[in-house]
Amino acid sequence: MLRGVLGKAFRLAGYTIQYGCIAHCAFEYVGGIVMCSGPSMEPTIQNSDIVFAENLSRHFYGIQRGDIVIAKSPCDPKSNICKRVIGLEGDKILNTGTSDIFKNRSYVPTGHVWLEGDNLQNSTDSRYYGPIPYGLIRGRIFFKIWPFSDFGFLRDSPNGHRFSDD
Amino acid sequence: MRACACSSEAARLSSQSVLLCPSVREPERTSGRDFGQIGRGYNITTYPFSPKKSGRKGMAQSQGWLRRYFKAFCKGFFVAVPVAVTFLDRVACVARVEGASMQPSLNPGGSQSSDVVLLNHWKVRNFEVHRGDIVSLVTIGHKNRLVKVPRGHMWVEGDHHGHSFDSNAFGPVSLGLLHAHATHILWPPERWQRLKSVLPPERFPVPTSEE
Repeated sequence: MLRGVLGKAFRLAGYTIQYGCIAHCAFEYVGGIVMCSGPSMEPTIQNSDIVFAENLSRHFYGIQRGDIVIAKSPCDPKSNICKRVIGLEGDKILNTGTSDIFKNRSYVPTGHVWLEGDNLQNSTDSRYYGPIPYGLIRGRIFFKIWPFSDFGFLRDSPNGHRFSDD
Repeated sequence: MRACACSSEAARLSSQSVLLCPSVREPERTSGRDFGQIGRGYNITTYPFSPKKSGRKGMAQSQGWLRRYFKAFCKGFFVAVPVAVTFLDRVACVARVEGASMQPSLNPGGSQSSDVVLLNHWKVRNFEVHRGDIVSLVTIGHKNRLVKVPRGHMWVEGDHHGHSFDSNAFGPVSLGLLHAHATHILWPPERWQRLKSVLPPERFPVPTSEE
């Protein structure tokens, strides 16, 4: 009787470990479904939207300007952030500081990217903590699943003026 | 000659059927053509031996074997590969040390013998590191004399100053890039040891007035 229960428990543990490992490999090397929270990417991604993220681009250095990425937060390594890539390494970033007359420009250092949320008024991003290393990027979001009214590929940035460098 | 062929074939079949299912009587198979039939109690075969039927039986046997092999291979592949990959990513893996930047702790022999270290991912799953630990980083991409290490970051240096590409070149490193904690040297066997966490006395943090 006890042997039967133990046998069942071991089998359950074995299946759990096996499927857990498959899930880890799938998310780490292929992609997965992610739920986003927070207002910093409105109107492109609203609070509690469910999106599909793929993790192949970062392994092949296929992240480009304008992509929405998931990255580990530089302030807290246990949490993730979801922002748009505004600048890659070597790009010039416009720092609209206190006034528009004195436009500061800074360069994104090698191995780093500059992230900004689409909701510029309500987003803590690279304007606050600076460029983040490329190695913190975990995946690229390209497809929204929920809500159904917004099903489909994600729109381009509403802040097109941030991409031009002159 | 006919008798020999028949009896040898029949003997083989009957012995095979004994191995497979000694207690169950298999249903009779009719070929549709009216040859003489020899029943052996378990299997029925047509006589003279129809080559087409034997071919089909042989092919069915080999197909069954192939399918079983394929199923076993798939099962092994989908169990073993994810478990192994997850173990190497999350628990521990092994790596060879290259370069002279960590002399004399690692690679004291230079290019003759490279040390092999155990990279311990499990120890850093909560991003807990202490001063003096030897760590490995996911690659990335300051010239001030005193640098304040921001929250959520760490400062890493090679033991061999002047020959090391470390935080002195690229500044403090985000904790999220922490890959593993190198805890042991595994190879060569005479250098088998546990790596100690040692912070050189001249590299202690400088006390600031705010703290």
